[in-house]
Amino acid sequence: MREEEVEKLRGVVRDCVSKHLYSSAIFFADKVAAFTSDPADIYMQAQALYLGRHYRRAFHLLNASQIVLRDLRFRYLAAKCLEELKEWDQCLSMLGDAKIDEHGNVHDLKDCNVMYLEKDGEDHEINITSAICFLRGKAYEALENRAQARQWYKAAIKADPLCYEALECLIDNHMLTCEEETSLLSSLQFGPEDGWLSSFYSCLIKKYDKENVVEAKFTELEKGNCGINSSDPSFTNTLKNNTDLLACKAEYYHQCGEYQKCFDLTSVLLERDPFHLKCTLVHLAAAMELGHSNELYLMACNLVKDYPQKALSWFAVGCYYYCIKKYDQSRRYFSKATQLDGTFAPAWIGYGNAYAAQEEGDQAMFAYRTGARLFPGCHLPTLYIGMEYMRTHSFKLAEQFFLQAKTICPSDPLVYNELGVVAYHMKEYKKAVWWFEKTLAHIPSSLSEMWEPTVVNLAHALRKLKMYHEAISYYEKALALSTRSLSTYAGLAYTYHLQDNFNAAITYYHKALWLKPDDQFCTEMLTLALVDECRRGSDHKNESRRSDVHAL
Amino acid sequence: MGSKDSCRTELRTAIRQLSDRCLYSASKWASEQLVGIEQDPAKFTPSHTRFQRGSSSIRRRFRTNDIPSTPAAGVSYTTTPVPEEDEIVDSDCYLLAKSYFDCREYRRAAHALRDQTGKKAVFLRCYALFLAGEKRKEEEMIELDGPLGKSDAVNHELVSLERELSAYRKSGNIDPFGLYLYGLVLKENGHEDLSRNVLVESVNSYPWNWSAWSELQSLCTTIDILNTLNLKNHWMKDFFLASAYQGLRMHSESLSKYEYLQGTFTFSNYIQAQIAKAQYSLREFEQVEVIFEELLRNDPYRVEDMDMYSNVLYAKECFSALSYLAHRVFLTDKYQPESCCIIGNYYSLKGQHEKSVVYFRRALKLNKNYLSAWTLMGHEYVEMKNIPAAIDAYRRAVDIDPCDYRAWYGLGQAYEMMCMPFYALYYFQKSVYLQPNDSRLWIAMAQCYEAEQLHMLEEAIKCYKRAANCNDREAIALHQLAKLHNELGRSEEAAFYYKKDLERMEDEDREGPNMVEALLFLATHCKAQKRFEEAEVYCTRLLDYTGPEKETAKSLLRGMRAAQSGLPSMDVEHFPP
Repeated sequence: MREEEVEKLRGVVRDCVSKHLYSSAIFFADKVAAFTSDPADIYMQAQALYLGRHYRRAFHLLNASQIVLRDLRFRYLAAKCLEELKEWDQCLSMLGDAKIDEHGNVHDLKDCNVMYLEKDGEDHEINITSAICFLRGKAYEALENRAQARQWYKAAIKADPLCYEALECLIDNHMLTCEEETSLLSSLQFGPEDGWLSSFYSCLIKKYDKENVVEAKFTELEKGNCGINSSDPSFTNTLKNNTDLLACKAEYYHQCGEYQKCFDLTSVLLERDPFHLKCTLVHLAAAMELGHSNELYLMACNLVKDYPQKALSWFAVGCYYYCIKKYDQSRRYFSKATQLDGTFAPAWIGYGNAYAAQEEGDQAMFAYRTGARLFPGCHLPTLYIGMEYMRTHSFKLAEQFFLQAKTICPSDPLVYNELGVVAYHMKEYKKAVWWFEKTLAHIPSSLSEMWEPTVVNLAHALRKLKMYHEAISYYEKALALSTRSLSTYAGLAYTYHLQDNFNAAITYYHKALWLKPDDQFCTEMLTLALVDECRRGSDHKNESRRSDVHAL
Repeated sequence: MGSKDSCRTELRTAIRQLSDRCLYSASKWASEQLVGIEQDPAKFTPSHTRFQRGSSSIRRRFRTNDIPSTPAAGVSYTTTPVPEEDEIVDSDCYLLAKSYFDCREYRRAAHALRDQTGKKAVFLRCYALFLAGEKRKEEEMIELDGPLGKSDAVNHELVSLERELSAYRKSGNIDPFGLYLYGLVLKENGHEDLSRNVLVESVNSYPWNWSAWSELQSLCTTIDILNTLNLKNHWMKDFFLASAYQGLRMHSESLSKYEYLQGTFTFSNYIQAQIAKAQYSLREFEQVEVIFEELLRNDPYRVEDMDMYSNVLYAKECFSALSYLAHRVFLTDKYQPESCCIIGNYYSLKGQHEKSVVYFRRALKLNKNYLSAWTLMGHEYVEMKNIPAAIDAYRRAVDIDPCDYRAWYGLGQAYEMMCMPFYALYYFQKSVYLQPNDSRLWIAMAQCYEAEQLHMLEEAIKCYKRAANCNDREAIALHQLAKLHNELGRSEEAAFYYKKDLERMEDEDREGPNMVEALLFLATHCKAQKRFEEAEVYCTRLLDYTGPEKETAKSLLRGMRAAQSGLPSMDVEHFPP
């Protein structure tokens, strides 16, 4: 056959592939390979077989050709076939036994002498080493060797910052702590025209920084001035409304406790792209915080219909039941989600929370422990374990876990609050005050109702330290945030009582009892305060009343 | 005060603007005042002044002390120009939204305005959302609990509204109506100081919105707060001050303000009702009755404020008038909270307390912040000896308005019945602080001090003294004072008060066991003091009574004669059992 005829056939194969006519592609690629026996054509044939889901055949073809061990692309494709066949050990040995150190630097033993056949015509190609590293990571993850998997993912993204999948795996599976994520990101070497990508990645990672830092990141991207050629305005315009970016923003709102804002944003996004999974997750979480059970129901039904095999769908069902406080059912569906995908962190945490909501500490702890093991970069399971310990009054253990959570994520104010509570329970009030003040210092945005408990805690601790004036001022701050808390009123009343200001104490005991008429502490203290008020210097009081009356 | 004509023009424009923004009660109020301005009879045919006939007769009758009621020198009224509409022609969306709003479809109205950015549209959208939230809240309350149980239902729109409106205010992109709504939202969220400032801003730039003034008034709980408000001078401010003074129980100041306002708004039913309210607080029931009769003649289908009239009729036990009033409001609109309250009073006077509670409950279902219904329902429960329910009702009342001395007094009474004098004392103290010139409250407090658990007689004496000083109608205080002093062995003081009590009883022509007791004590006391002549007078008076005292008096007399004649006294200490 003539060279131009072969070339034409190659064109046909490529066209069949692009039109997803895989059987035809296999047929013609086979013929081309038979005509030429060129390694490139064999590669093309293997590619067609791979795409046509004939993995075993593709692997055999590659294995049979002599070149397989010498050309990286052959090896990679062979390994990809093995991946599809779920033969992970073979897959790893096909990729070669490269070593990796702590920092994700690869020391390949034999790579120096492998050849790398012609590049395809594209001008920007993902580095093949990066792809290989990523595949190694996946293999190790499938073998449940998470430490290795993490190293290889890191190596993959380091080898080529454009290998987004590796970063996605690292982030979604919470494999890295806050600090590790930041340092990984700063070690990446972006090409000169990929400045925007660096900013984009920085929005993807955990966002526990101060509000203005995070906002700055977003605005930088929205303005689109990160090294993009400014003569192309259409591109900068599109990135501002990019769904991925806005989903990150929603995630950030959710984390700051601005659930309504988050919900509004995700609702808009889902209207635009109803199947955006990350956005769906954030939307579910926000809807749950806001108690929109109806919304959750619809979402869950649609998800289960469209993606019955996704953990997210069943997670949504669990969320719905959790939201309407049917914890048994919610547990069942969270557990189903974890069975479908063991690496789906929200389901594990939800599973634990559903147990904790019914005060079944042991089972909750089990779920949290699994979560902590699977997701070393996520501090929430550790934090929740600590909370469970605190509920059973094991304060020492609780403190240990909180400290551990703090090392994983040193910027979440919630951790500091819990540490403060532990210190308070252990009667170390000075320490408690210190932790609570630290909590307030770490709050990303302005003081909102979400942090009212911390303010009250701080006031309680100050009261224990007999710093009554400070305590009162914090109680009042808390009242400015929310007027429906029994503990605030009771604490305020008790503080006044301790100051012998019986009148104020009585007023606030009343307010507390108005919220919960059968509160024992307040009822008893109110009686005491009334007796004290009546007994102590009623002369003096009558005098002062008289002058008040005159003032009127 | 601006001239009548300028008031009239201002009000006319304001009514249009207010009802355009669906602020209906403010617009109703403004319309009432507009009609209340005296028309020049020369220029108008009688049909124009139909609303206005008759009511001047009350004024003539009660203008006893004409207080010169011009504003203090130097006060100049800044004329606030009625602002022009920013959008002369409403957009179609606005018209649609307003129609939805009028049909009480608030969320639909808000949705229709979702993309509008004009100040007017923004206001109506936010206001519709606010009302939608309120409506939902009320529904939830009914769903979750009866009227007595409080529920945790909240208006879910408040948080987002507060955020949105505060952003508008920061950017200066807000009109006085928006400020009013912002103040309302802030108040609901418990940020009272900021709310006050915002409302002041609102009324300073647009004084004709009575709803804004009312909200502001509810935030002025002390005279100090009222005095620190930085309000521009406008005739609406006088209405506000009059109402605020009334809220602060400064009734005479309030009355003089209203009388001054009547100079312009001669025929305002609102002012008349407010005057009646002040008179009611001063317990001038006769005058209140006259005013209300007049009001009903001019405005026969009025239900507003009529509950107060029914209270007066109840207090005076005018059975037939109350019955007439109850039937009348029943036919006018039986599902108004005021109507239910009047009917409740009617049944209460008939002694049918269960039925009466049913109507108070209905009133509260219609308006759960209806203060006097809570208090009255508490009274009914006390009558029915259902003390816990009474306490609950009174508590709701003081929660709504901590200045309602009746509810505090009711609470005290209820706790007293439960034998918890420490609690009772505290509540009586509260009520007496609010109403220091009411002898009943002082007496109640004194009785608490006398209770076994406290037994603080000195304090009790102080309270009785206060009670005696403030026109103690039932004359309990003097008697109790005498008795307590006697118990404490201070016979001089005891004699003093017994004598006073006796004089009073003589003045009022009252007889009874107290009289006997006083006479007996005074007789013994005088005898012990060797003031035999005096003692003899008291003894002789005692002889007019039947019973053991007569015998005692006889023996006293005998003893005295014996002592005077130098014979050894016999059996002086002997009292027949």
